[in-house]
Amino acid sequence: MKIKIKISRCDPLGRTGCKPFLQAYDIEAREGMTVLDALHLVKDEQDGTLAFRRSCRSAICGSCAVNLNGFPKLACKTQLIPEYKKKGAIIIEPLFNYRVIKDLVVDFNPFWDKINKIEPWLNQKNNPPLPQGDRFQICPQKEGMEGLSSEKKWQRVDKQAVLKIGNSSKCIMCGCCNAACNTLEIDKHFVAPAALAKAWRFVGDERELQRQKRLVRLSGGHGMWDCVRCVHCTEYCPKDVAPLQAIERLRAEAIKEGIIDNDGARHVESMVDSIKRVGRLDEAAMTFKTLGFLRSLGMIPFGLKMEMHGKMPMPLIFPQIEKIEEVKKIYEEIEKRKAVSRNREP
Amino acid sequence: MGKTLQYAYYPGCASQAITKEANATTRKVAKILGLKLHDMPKANCCGAGLLTDYDYDLSIALNARIFAQAEEMGMDIMTICSTCLMVMSTANRDLKNDPKLLEKTNEVLSSVGIRYNGTIKVKQLLWILAEDYGLDKLKTKVVKSLKNLKVAPFYGCHSLRPADALGFDDPEKPWSLEALIEALGAEAVEYHGKTKCCGFQVDLVAEGTALEMAGKRLLDAKGEGGRCMVTPCPFCHINLDNYQGISEKKLNQKIDMPVFHLAQLVGLALGMTAEELELSRHLVSTKDILKEANLLA
Repeated sequence: MKIKIKISRCDPLGRTGCKPFLQAYDIEAREGMTVLDALHLVKDEQDGTLAFRRSCRSAICGSCAVNLNGFPKLACKTQLIPEYKKKGAIIIEPLFNYRVIKDLVVDFNPFWDKINKIEPWLNQKNNPPLPQGDRFQICPQKEGMEGLSSEKKWQRVDKQAVLKIGNSSKCIMCGCCNAACNTLEIDKHFVAPAALAKAWRFVGDERELQRQKRLVRLSGGHGMWDCVRCVHCTEYCPKDVAPLQAIERLRAEAIKEGIIDNDGARHVESMVDSIKRVGRLDEAAMTFKTLGFLRSLGMIPFGLKMEMHGKMPMPLIFPQIEKIEEVKKIYEEIEKRKAVSRNREP
Repeated sequence: MGKTLQYAYYPGCASQAITKEANATTRKVAKILGLKLHDMPKANCCGAGLLTDYDYDLSIALNARIFAQAEEMGMDIMTICSTCLMVMSTANRDLKNDPKLLEKTNEVLSSVGIRYNGTIKVKQLLWILAEDYGLDKLKTKVVKSLKNLKVAPFYGCHSLRPADALGFDDPEKPWSLEALIEALGAEAVEYHGKTKCCGFQVDLVAEGTALEMAGKRLLDAKGEGGRCMVTPCPFCHINLDNYQGISEKKLNQKIDMPVFHLAQLVGLALGMTAEELELSRHLVSTKDILKEANLLA
């Protein structure tokens, strides 16, 4: 079938200048054809000046991510005809939240800077050096560890520990999550989901020796607490890395490690307290606990304006739910179970 | 005449306090339409995602406690909060997909004599109107068509994602809110950002980001000709309405965009007055736009 596809063109150094515009191409779409096939077809047969990144064509290298009809996708993993039938159009643009170099090619340096900043390697300073040619990394089976020397055991990780890291080690660095990230859209200094998923891959690794230091750094400004939980990163990851889940685990780990002197952790703790106390969210107490006394004072003028519309949260008359004792008991039960599993750990 | 639609009604914390106009209007609208809402006085907060940041198992157990109550009542849950919808649906998905998790959670719940069998669904008012009740039927109840109103639909992120847990609308090509707006006689405005985040989750953590994000959504909608906005989520309403004034200061730009709760827009078309809809509780006045569209009684 004949399909009109529109591709965003922009050449800051060349003739067309840096204002992106959509250029339409008519192509003959075949069943099973991918969006990447279509880009190749245009480049090969109609317009050799079209620039886009690609390599493996198999959703492994992560090079060909583009914004397709407004959402980040791997061009090689998305079929053209079903997308066209669903959306009624094919509009291919460069990834959002990145600077365009030419057409669909974007500047990945900020992406790599963010990844580098979280130190994407395992800190194992005190390990004995390994013998050449025998470098185990993650081994999903614990079996067969009996006969190994202690150095080799150190390198081996059992299945449960691998599951803890989840899919965070499967990232192919395509950048789709950062393109979809709502916080990054507003705050370009935000560490963003790709680096956070990578951070969890190391924080969650039981061999890591700098867990505390990493979590302190991630709890700072533009760090993991600035995520707005819009779920876009998880929704648009082509490899099911689920960055949001990694962010939740990083946050829980930080609180567990006692890194709670920041607004994000205080926000969570005030919610946890509030539910335990009254069974639901106590807005006034949450503001006070998150911001502290002095900064809450700063909210008073705004609070008064809200009060004029009957919107000031009233802590004193906040009723608790029926059977709050059940909620308290559930908290206790969970605590008890956590204590048992902590004692089981070596 | 089919059988009466009945739901275990879970308004969410925000709509029981700061945005209680959403709760009040929903009850009135449900009464007019004949939806039967049953209160859940024992229900706890879903955690709004913050509990998942603290302890996943605790979050799952407390959500399962809510589901168990609905199961006992023999009804699906209806919420009017997108964040409750997202959190509860995600927990429900995990419990339904993972029998081991369900078993482990039931062990915890057994300490208070509760059990969840994984049989209920979580829905929001928007879906119930769009599917269970039906928009054709809703059209027949409209007494005051909103035909002069250009409404920007704001889904927000949590009423659409994660799609595998929510399983109703398509986050890349959503239809329900636009269809509802049109069923009420109004015009739905298309704009970039209608399915994005309002920034609410970081209001107290990264205030600048939250204010700028809310302002951007409003300005995008305004730029495409939206004269007012409608959202199915009270948290979105807090950011888009309550914080609009501070957002204007931060962006140094006038916005002036009234924002309706979903139930208020429906109520307006059902002939309810501004007082009944509790519109005076909004920080951005709805008076001018209602006058402009000849909707003031």
